[in-house]
This record gives sequence, structure tokens and C-alpha cells, in this order.
Amino acid sequence: MIWLDRLLKRRRISDDLSAEIQAHLEEKTDALLALGLSREDAESAARRAFGNVTALKERGHDVWVWPTVESVLFDVRFALRQLRRAPTLTAVVVLTLGIGVAATASVFSWTRAILIDPLPGTGDPNRVYALESLTASGSWTPTSWPDFRDLRRSLTSVSGLAAAYPTSVAIGDDAQAERGGTELVSANFFDVLGVEPAAGRFFPLTRDNAPGGEADVVIGYRLWQRRWNGDPSVIGKVVRINRFPFTVIGVAPRSFHGSMPGEDIDLWVPAMMVNQILPTANSLLEDRGWRTFRVLARLTPGVSSVAAGDEVRRVASAIARREGGRSEGMSATLLPLWQSHWGLQDTLRAPLVILLGACGLVLFIACANTANLLLARAAGRRRELGLRLALGAPRQRLARQLLTEAAILALAGSALGLVCSIWLARGLRAIVPASGSSLIDPRMDTTVLVFTMALACGVTLIAGIAPALYGSRQRLGEALGEGSRGTSGGVQAVRLRSLFVVAEVALAVISLVGAGLFYDSYRNTRGVAPGFDADHVAMGSVSLALAGFDSATADALLARVADRIAGTPGITAVSYTDYVPLSLGQGSWEDLEVEGYAPERNENMKIYRAAIGPGYFDVVRIPVLAGRGFRADDDSAHAPAMIVNETFAQHFLRGRSPLGVKVKGWGRWFTIVGVVRDAKIYRLTESPAPYFYVPVRQVYRPEYGYTFLARSRLPVAEAVSAITAAVRSADPGVPTYNAMPLADYVGVPLRGQQMAASLLGGLAAVALVLAVIGLYGLLAYAVGQRTREIGVRIALGARPVQVLGVISRNAGALILVGLGVGLACGASLGHVLSSLLYGVGSADVPVLAGACTAMVLAAAAAIAIPAHRALRVDPIIALRAD
Amino acid sequence: MPDDATRDLFPGALEMMVLRLLRHEPMHGYALVQRIQHASNNLLQVEEGSLYPALQRLLKDGLVKAQWGVSSTNRRVRIYQLTPAGTRHLERAISSYSRMSRGINLVLGVADA
Repeated sequence: MIWLDRLLKRRRISDDLSAEIQAHLEEKTDALLALGLSREDAESAARRAFGNVTALKERGHDVWVWPTVESVLFDVRFALRQLRRAPTLTAVVVLTLGIGVAATASVFSWTRAILIDPLPGTGDPNRVYALESLTASGSWTPTSWPDFRDLRRSLTSVSGLAAAYPTSVAIGDDAQAERGGTELVSANFFDVLGVEPAAGRFFPLTRDNAPGGEADVVIGYRLWQRRWNGDPSVIGKVVRINRFPFTVIGVAPRSFHGSMPGEDIDLWVPAMMVNQILPTANSLLEDRGWRTFRVLARLTPGVSSVAAGDEVRRVASAIARREGGRSEGMSATLLPLWQSHWGLQDTLRAPLVILLGACGLVLFIACANTANLLLARAAGRRRELGLRLALGAPRQRLARQLLTEAAILALAGSALGLVCSIWLARGLRAIVPASGSSLIDPRMDTTVLVFTMALACGVTLIAGIAPALYGSRQRLGEALGEGSRGTSGGVQAVRLRSLFVVAEVALAVISLVGAGLFYDSYRNTRGVAPGFDADHVAMGSVSLALAGFDSATADALLARVADRIAGTPGITAVSYTDYVPLSLGQGSWEDLEVEGYAPERNENMKIYRAAIGPGYFDVVRIPVLAGRGFRADDDSAHAPAMIVNETFAQHFLRGRSPLGVKVKGWGRWFTIVGVVRDAKIYRLTESPAPYFYVPVRQVYRPEYGYTFLARSRLPVAEAVSAITAAVRSADPGVPTYNAMPLADYVGVPLRGQQMAASLLGGLAAVALVLAVIGLYGLLAYAVGQRTREIGVRIALGARPVQVLGVISRNAGALILVGLGVGLACGASLGHVLSSLLYGVGSADVPVLAGACTAMVLAAAAAIAIPAHRALRVDPIIALRAD
Repeated sequence: MPDDATRDLFPGALEMMVLRLLRHEPMHGYALVQRIQHASNNLLQVEEGSLYPALQRLLKDGLVKAQWGVSSTNRRVRIYQLTPAGTRHLERAISSYSRMSRGINLVLGVADA
């Protein structure tokens, strides 16, 4: 605004000046006319007397503009000259700043894409919040449709409440069916999110009134481009979804991916059509215990999120109290989208924030380094600066000149960093689970540019303010009077620089400790035995719900495909499951009742489970400790059977023999026929929890995909293609996905950790190098300053050890203070990060010791060169110097 | 910055005279030129236009302020007025000028003698 103001003011000055000069000329002409001149003569005489009107106007105008521009240009030119004079130094500073800015900007571009703008394409996303149900124990859970309906009816602090249930479907005719992501949504879904159609229209708001009705579908932009080449006449066309014909009524805009960050949704279907999509999910809309929906709320204008959150909690608790039973003790909460548990941002939140912090540290060290080097320069220019002050240069002018130097360095560094961050940001994709990464677009947009510019300004200030203040505060007499022989040269500068070096050392130690903690955690995680053997196992998933199969056909298909895979040479065991261990999701649970076990009050009897095929434990090599695994005859014709893990047996059966015990779930009594060893279910770092298995043939849940697992003697890639081929030959309408070695699949989370640890390690190495550069710079300068003193000492017979002592006392103090501060912060870092680390104590001694050692070794390298130089000081030359 | 128009004067002389005249009474540019020529018995041939950059400098430094008004010939003109800062500046300028002029005269006198 100040710029605009100035611009307008300048404009007015110019106008005023013109009017004034015009008036002057007229007045003069009048006076000459009065003397009897002709008008023509009078006018030309007036002009002659006045001089060159244009030039004078410009000069009048320049009075306002010129000095600023001129002096800024001068400062820039001068600074460039100064920087050119020390090209190596300049290059090092620009490079280090560039590294800091590149790292920070690229991590920020991800942070923006994932945390700041988690639902692209949404209108006014800051007013959209996630509503999550809370169980009696306070953990989050999706929301059931009846709860959603009641909440929507009662809440006044939200202007719209929408629900979405993400699932997979088969899109298209059997011959060319593809698997796609869909969301079953409430009618107001697009209205609540403020999304405008790219073509056609969205659902009418009355669509939630009764199940069934028009089979309308809204398709996603990418599906539209992929399948229909963006043809607008797609509106009104029929597309089969899980074999049921739907009519396309609209296309979502390109930027909109659905309600879950990192998931690409291909189409949206009214929740009322759930029966047409998932034939076995018929009670989804009536069962209050069937919690599957993600709920998004748009706040009523003027209502604060706190007030809305209070109302949500109150209303949800009231509904739970009224309903009782499975709703007892439940409640709900309102969360900002970036804190929501649905979607990619939940797993990436902590790593991103940590990475951003680490990048910030590196950038800060780079700043301190720059400040350090500029201070050294300013100290070297003491006499020049003092002279200029004596000649009447205003102090702020000198300060501005020194700041200009810092600003040029910051600008160059930021430009370099920005260029690097474009590819660095893409490189970060490696830490993101493959499924979501294609949707996250860490592009260089204005937000990132503004952020980088803010970084550059911050760098200028941090790096430039100390040199500027120092340089402009020279005492005239001191600077000039201090002869070249003075030994106290720039005491203040050295003190400031020491401070910067201490900070650098401390920060480097902190980043080393951080990287060490994460590496330790990764190593510990990697060392955990998963309890199953993923090597030599191939996997391939199918979604039978997609194909609209009922349980009998699905069962037959699963058995047929398993048989075909088993018939492939080299395959030693085949089975299937609806939950692959160590998947990113937690699988699904069932409320259980165990015969002879009285749950404690509020005890969570929701136990996670997997539905598996016969022979599953042979494929993944989970040892069966008692009883048996499932057989092909554990089907709907036989008594329901269940296999539990060790922890289940210990917790619920306490010493009783588990075999034969009855357990109630899905409204039926199952008999425990076997006990297996605990295996990791959700992630490697979990502690043992009760878990159980049921036969797919007895508990068929179509909404989950099924995954074939095949153990092979031959290379696992062959087994992977055997699975795909078997599915295709059994039913060409069923697409296979996630066809890969099981070891690769379960290794994904570990790879992310490994990636995070190596990124942090890389950043810590950069931090270390920067700190060493800072230390080296200061020591080299100190030795240079004390050449005479050292020369005198040597002349007086000081031994090399004593000379070294002089140098290293100085360095040692700096390093010790830096190490102390860094270790203190590093120790508390472990405490802060403890929830993200596995098997790492809050004060991890080896890590702290390692960080210390690395720092001390690096510091020794930094000391070596100046020390060597000090030892070689020739007393005669030193004493004659200057 | 070279200042061709005022090369007969030392830097700051025109400004000093303008301030002095404005201390007497506020006036506009044309009137200032007339007054300078008249008061100096036409000894000082000031290029009329060069007054305006000088006035802009004084405005920028806050030594004078300007206001649109109507001249005796009924024209819309900008009338300049001394500010307190201008008064102080003028006093300093005059005293330093007279010291310098005394010094120069002394030197010139010695040379004569």
C-alpha cells in the first residue's frame, strides 16, 4: 500500500509542477504583453527566460525520485563488486543458502499440498471441518449413516453436513472393466464442499430421502478424460458400476479428488444406491453400529470452530445416550481437515513437520554462516567504514549497504534454492505411499513463492542485521586510530561471530541427534520379526464386490482361482485373505462375546480379525500352536469355526484350553478350532493384541477386496503373473490390482521410515558441514589476526604444543559450549519425538555420543588447517608484517 | 548533479535566497523570480525555470510548504510558505554564509594588500 501511496503522490507532484510552470509562463507572457510585445514574441520570450521546460520539469521531479533509486543502485553495484572480489566465499555462501532454501521450500511445497490444502477443488476450505465419531474409550471411528442423519438434523452451527463412504468398484462392461475409487455420498456432498461441476450437474438435495431411486452418477475429471476423452456428450450416457447401469449426470472439476486427501475418486454415487453397488451391504443405511462414513461439516458463517465443536460433542453425546446399546458412551468431535484421521495427511503429518523443522535448522545454520562471513568482512573493512563515517556518511546508509550485501546473497541463494527445489520436491515423492503420491501436486505456486520470498527476507535479516549494526556502529576514532598493528581488532565482531559459531555447533548437534534417533528407530523397527514370512510370496488382489457377486458365486470364484494358481508349476501353497498384514489400514473388527469371559465395564470387545481361505497359515508361515488351520470344508454347510492368536487366548481364556470354546460374532456362535502364534497385523511397532481369523467361506464381506497369496519355489515375479493370469482366466470381468511380491507390499511403511531417516541424515550432514565451515572461518580469521602474537611466542621459544594450545583453547571453548547446548536440546528432542520413535529411549546415549563424536571429529578437521598455519608462522616475517 | 542554470551561484545560494524572501512573506514562483531580480538590482541573472527544482528540493526537505491559491493577476498559483524547520535552516545557512564570505573577503583583502 505504501508503494501505491507513493506512486500516487509522485503523480500529484508531477501534475502540480506542470500546472505551476504553466502559470509562471502565462504570468510572464502577460507582463511582456503589457510592455507592448506581440503575443507571439511575448510567449517565446517567456520561454527563453524560463529555460528548457522539459528538462526543468524532470529535474524538479527527480528531486523526489532520484536519490533513493540512485543510492539503492549504488549500494547494489557496490555490494556486487565486494562480492565479486571474493568469488569463492560468495559461491560458498550462495550454495549453502541455496541448499537451505531448496530443502525448506521443497518440504514446504509438500506441506502446503498435504496439510495446508488437503482438499483441492473445495470452495472456502477453511470453513470445512471433519466430524469424527468417538468411541467410549475416546478413540476415533467413522460414523454410521443413522448417526450422520440425526446429526445433520440437529446441528445448527454447521450450514451443511455431508457424508462419504469410500470404496472400490468395477467400472464399465465386463470386457473392459477397470477398478476405480468411488464414494457413496449424501446428496448435499458437493454443495457442502462448495464444488462446482465441470459439466452437467450434481445430485438434487432431495436425493437422500429414500433408498433406491434414480441410478445417477457423477464422474471424476480424470475418468472423464481417460474413458471418454473429455467428451461433453458423456452426460446422459450409461456406465456400469459393479455391473449395475448408472446414468452420468455430471463431471467433477479437474482439481477435485474427493473427500480424502491423497485418494483419487473416479466417481460419486448417492449413498441411497448402496444396495445396487454393494448387494450385501443392505443394512448400511439402517445399522447404527455399521460405522463407515466420513463426515464433513461446513460451519455456519459467523460460528467459531470451538462453538461448533462444542455443539457437535453435545448433540452426538445426546444421540448416543438416547440410542444406548452399541452407541453407549459415544460422542463426536470436530477437527480441522489437516488433523483428520482420514487420508494420507494422517500418516504424513508428523514426518513433514519434522522434516520442515530439520530444514529450518539447516537454513538457520546457513544464515548464521552467512552472518559470520559478512561479519568477518565487515571487521576487515573497519577502517574503510570508519573513514566513511568520518567523512559524513550517515550510519543508516552504511547499515543499508551492508544489508544490501546480505540481501543479494539471500536473493541469489533463494533463486538457486527455488530452482533446485523444483526437482527436490519431486524426489520427496519417495516417502509417500505409492497410492496417493500421484495426486499430491507439490507445485511451485504463489504460496510456495511467497514462502520462499519470506525465507529470503528472513535470511537477509538474520544474516545481515548483525554485520549491519556492527559495521555502522564503528567509533570513528577507534576505527581510524587503531593502527594496523592493533591486536584488539574487532573484538566485538569476534564475540558476535563466536556466538554464531556456538549456535551453529549446537544446531548441528541437534540435527545429528534427530537423525540418529530416527535411524535408531528405523533400525529397531526393521529388526522386529513380523511373525510371518513374506519372502517368496506373491500377492494379487481382486474386488468381488466390484463384480456384484453374492457370497455363493464369490466363494466359488475364490476357490476356482486358488485352484488354478495352485496348478501352476513351482507354487507350493495358495490361499486368500480379506486383509493383508501390515497394510496401511487396520482392517476390520467385530464385536465379540467370549463364552465364559465377563468383559470389564467399558472394555473394548471390538476385536480385529481377518477372513481367510484354507491353507492361509501355510502360505505366510504363521505357526499353528494348537488345533488346526482352516480347511476347505469350513464352509457354510459346516459349523462356524474360528482361529485365535496367542494373545487372544491368554487374554480371554486365561489358562482354559482354547479349543472348543464358543465365541459369538456376526450374530452366530463360532467354535475355536485352532491357536496360532501372534503376528504383526497393522504395523511392526504395535504391541501384541488379541486377533482372530474366520473362514471366508463362512463370513463373506464383499466390501473388502480379497487378496490371493501364493508361495513359490520359483522367482516370485512368476508367481505374481500366475495370480493375474489365473484371475483373468477365471473371470475376465474381475480386475486384479496390487499384483506384486508380498515382501514389497509389507515393506512400504518401512521404506518410508528408511527414507525419512536418510533424509534427516542427509540434512544433518549438511548441517555438520555448514557448522564446520563456520568454525573454520572463525579460527582461520583468529589465527590470521594473531599471527604476530604467535610469532612472538615462537620467537620466545614456545613449543608447537603450546602454540596449538593457544589455538585450540579458543576453538575448544566454542565447541564445548555448542556441544553442551546442542546435547541438552537433543536430549529433550528425544522426549518430544518419543511418540514417533520405536524402541528409542528419551535419552539415547549412543545417539548422543555419536552426535558428539561426529561433531568433535568434524571440528578437529576445522581446527587442523588454521592450526597447521599457526605452527608454520615464521617469527621474523610475522613481526615484520604490516 | 551539474546545475547549469545556477552556475553563477554556489550550491545552496538560490535556496538560501528563496528562504530569505519567503521569511518576509509567502509568495508564488513567479513572484519569487521577480523579487530576486529586483532585490539584486538585476545583478543576479537567474534562469527563471531553475527556481522550480530548487523549490522542489525545499519542499522535499520540509523547509517550505506549498498551497494552491490565487495570485494578484487572478491566476491559480502555488504559494510557498516557510516552515519552522525552514526558518532554522535559513538562520544556519546565513550564519555559515556570512562566515564564509567574511573569510573569503579577508583573503581577498590580504591579497589586495
